[in-house]
Amino acid sequence: MSKRLFVLKAVLWGFVGVLTVVSVSRFVYGLGAVTNLSDAAPWGLWIGFDVMGGVALAAGGFVIAATVYIFGLEQYRPFVRPAILTAFLGYIAVAVGLLYDLGVPWHIWHPIRYWQYHSVLFEVAACVILYLTVLTLEFAPVVLEHPRFSKPLFRAVLRSLKKVTIPLVIAGIVLSTLHQSSLGSLFLITPYRLHPLWYSPIIYVLFFVSAVGLGLMMVILESLLAGLFLNHKVHTRLLSGGSWQSVLFVIELAVSAAIPASLLLFKSVRSSIGGLALCAALSVAGIVMYRLDVAFVAFSRPAQLSYFPSWMEFAVSLGIVAAAALTFIFFVEHFRVYAAEDIAPGDVPVPSYDPATLHGLLPQKLAAPQRFSAMAIAAAACAVLFLPNEAVTGVVPAHTPVAASRTVDAIPSARPGGGRKLELSNPAADLPGSVPVLMIDGNRNGYPVLFDHEAHEARLEGERSCVLCHHLNKPFDENTSCFECHRDMYEPAAQFDHSLHVRELNGNAGCVECHAESGSAKRQESSVACSQCHANLVAPSPHIEAPGDVWQLAVGYMEAMHGLCVRCHESKVTEEPDDHPAALDRCDTCHDADRQLDLQRLEPRPAGRR
Amino acid sequence: MNDYVAILNDTTRCTGCEKCVAACKAEYELGRDRPWRGQGEVGALSATRFCTVIRRPGDHYVRQQCRHCLEPACVSACLVGAMQKTPEGPVVYDRDLCMGCRYCLAACPYGIPRYDWSDRVPYVSKCTMCVDRIKAGMVPACVEACPEEATIFGSRTELLAEAHSRIRSNPNKYIPTVFGEHEVGGSSVLYISDIPLDFLAWQADLGTQPLPERTWAALHKVPPTVAGGATVMAGIYWVIGRRMMLSARTGSDSAPPDAGSEEERGGP
Repeated sequence: MSKRLFVLKAVLWGFVGVLTVVSVSRFVYGLGAVTNLSDAAPWGLWIGFDVMGGVALAAGGFVIAATVYIFGLEQYRPFVRPAILTAFLGYIAVAVGLLYDLGVPWHIWHPIRYWQYHSVLFEVAACVILYLTVLTLEFAPVVLEHPRFSKPLFRAVLRSLKKVTIPLVIAGIVLSTLHQSSLGSLFLITPYRLHPLWYSPIIYVLFFVSAVGLGLMMVILESLLAGLFLNHKVHTRLLSGGSWQSVLFVIELAVSAAIPASLLLFKSVRSSIGGLALCAALSVAGIVMYRLDVAFVAFSRPAQLSYFPSWMEFAVSLGIVAAAALTFIFFVEHFRVYAAEDIAPGDVPVPSYDPATLHGLLPQKLAAPQRFSAMAIAAAACAVLFLPNEAVTGVVPAHTPVAASRTVDAIPSARPGGGRKLELSNPAADLPGSVPVLMIDGNRNGYPVLFDHEAHEARLEGERSCVLCHHLNKPFDENTSCFECHRDMYEPAAQFDHSLHVRELNGNAGCVECHAESGSAKRQESSVACSQCHANLVAPSPHIEAPGDVWQLAVGYMEAMHGLCVRCHESKVTEEPDDHPAALDRCDTCHDADRQLDLQRLEPRPAGRR
Repeated sequence: MNDYVAILNDTTRCTGCEKCVAACKAEYELGRDRPWRGQGEVGALSATRFCTVIRRPGDHYVRQQCRHCLEPACVSACLVGAMQKTPEGPVVYDRDLCMGCRYCLAACPYGIPRYDWSDRVPYVSKCTMCVDRIKAGMVPACVEACPEEATIFGSRTELLAEAHSRIRSNPNKYIPTVFGEHEVGGSSVLYISDIPLDFLAWQADLGTQPLPERTWAALHKVPPTVAGGATVMAGIYWVIGRRMMLSARTGSDSAPPDAGSEEERGGP
């Protein structure tokens, strides 16, 4: 084994190692734990690269098969097997990538049973399943030629497979034409989200044409790489016969087509390995870029909900490709994939392989496999170290960094109903009676609040309560946020805007304005009545009964007006129109532009708090 | 025209009390909203909030919910039939069929379906228009809860007539179109409003062509592609094979006939 190949294999095994680690997180904790996908970006790197890019990269299979078998261009026959193998592995990789991306991967077989012919994605799924079958049959002869399968049964299967080569090739061409183009048709239904530069009513034609180009270039690139790493002869002689959005679009066109096409006009480029490799790599990169752009880069979403794939998404994409590449190398090393002439199955030259031992299936140096697995394990270990919290513990509510806690001086005072109230004191004043009190960023929102640690400890049953907030101080452990216990903090109430009050009352320092009773949990039930601040919001009318005995909350003016006045007026206006003017049953009586200010003035709001 | 059930939202009547949201949450036991990553804000549509009220400048409140399109893009997109349009009109989701491809999220012109990204086994969630309540002869929970009759329930024909009569009787107040009457083929949830509602969709002018028609334009080319592709390929194979055979028979040493070599060069 050459040193180059050894290094390549080690690197590929490293990617596979990382893949295994990320896979555990993906399948234990779900998509949210490892991807940056969101409702605004439902499709990301895995669909763009593994599925759409993977299918396009595998287009070489049907293009080369058509060139050789249908159009009779026999000189390209050496490329048939590597192209079919690439396509086969590419589609396997697509299926594996889908298993990662689907939310309910064990339902992947559902399209086989629940036909929905109106869905483009169904057509893609059906074609991919059928084409994978065709590719298996097309590639099977390569495996069956191997001396291990010399039994008469295998020989019979091999002979019959060879007889149906042409129908298989034609089926493969038709199926590929359909789903290569349909991957573009998928986006016909998103005219409002896909950027106009990419959206086109004939996007399926563009996808098909680019897939044909990509397929050819991929075969060239792959055979050059195989030549580099596997010491097989490169057939250059045959090949030499042959906005940010707008900026992105121009780059994409230049890289995928214009630059390689211009370069290939020069004979010196066509006939040099480096030039060919450059052109093929540019085309491959450019057309994969086309797929990525359509899948998620040029797919509109609100500006504040951006999407960039997480490193774990890249790791899965690279890992699957690496695994496919290793499989490719395996087949090239142990089967007759690259062969200049077609040899009858009977007289296959036996490679460095002895059916009696397993030795031939392993690389020359026995130590090598151990080194590869060491590489995979080392890479996996590194990946574990870099896993973010969510991939280790599952998805948790989004947290912002916590400001460090500190101790401040505060003056305690007795609170009616028990407990104590804490107020910040000026450290310079050195007031008598001030005590050190913790100030913590309890909700990780950058607003440190006075935190009465003693009171919490006393209320939560003393020392046994530590773990309620401090957990066990394991790695990645964080203290409990205030809202984990004070559960109604983010609850929307019918008329009460909690976050507005938090803002108006100077952030978390203002909690005690309403939640004055420190002995109980901070809930709606235990807060002060709205009327304590908003005295004029309660209509002093004998007709309205404030349900004061239920919650200590007054009936808001809005609820009284909407629930009682307006509803009653609406019925009265129709029943006794003479006694009741119609004005009060109409919203715009109060809610019109001129009187907006009146409605918003909630006196007596303490002055200077706005 | 099919007389589907429908909901009419009159944004001039909505005061943003969110009783509809509370009723919806109670009906489906959705629980609290939590500040999960990637959901914008806590009050936005999410896996725990099938409908929400969007506050617009100037104390305007607009309820956001599934539009239950007459020709839904999500139903057309779904490859396993997890999204279905019921005969009554509501578009419903069956999690037992869903494979989690999220094509419906990408396809919806209004960006309605939500995915529970925090779940190990995530599913799509969206408003069902309370189809079970409708079948039982009740009105949707949100409609029942609205204290202002800002959202009302009825047959689509009735509600369209009501919407137009409200616009006619108060032409200075309303924008003179019913949002949802024709957009992408029309929807079962209609809006009349005094402010533009283009923020409810991905694009201001959606046009009237139903989205499924755009994909159908490509899909109906599939059978001819199969038949034509297979025939052309088989034909080329036969013609080229025969020419090569003939040229081999007439003289294996000489160059092949000109016509044949031209044909060969035409390959991809």
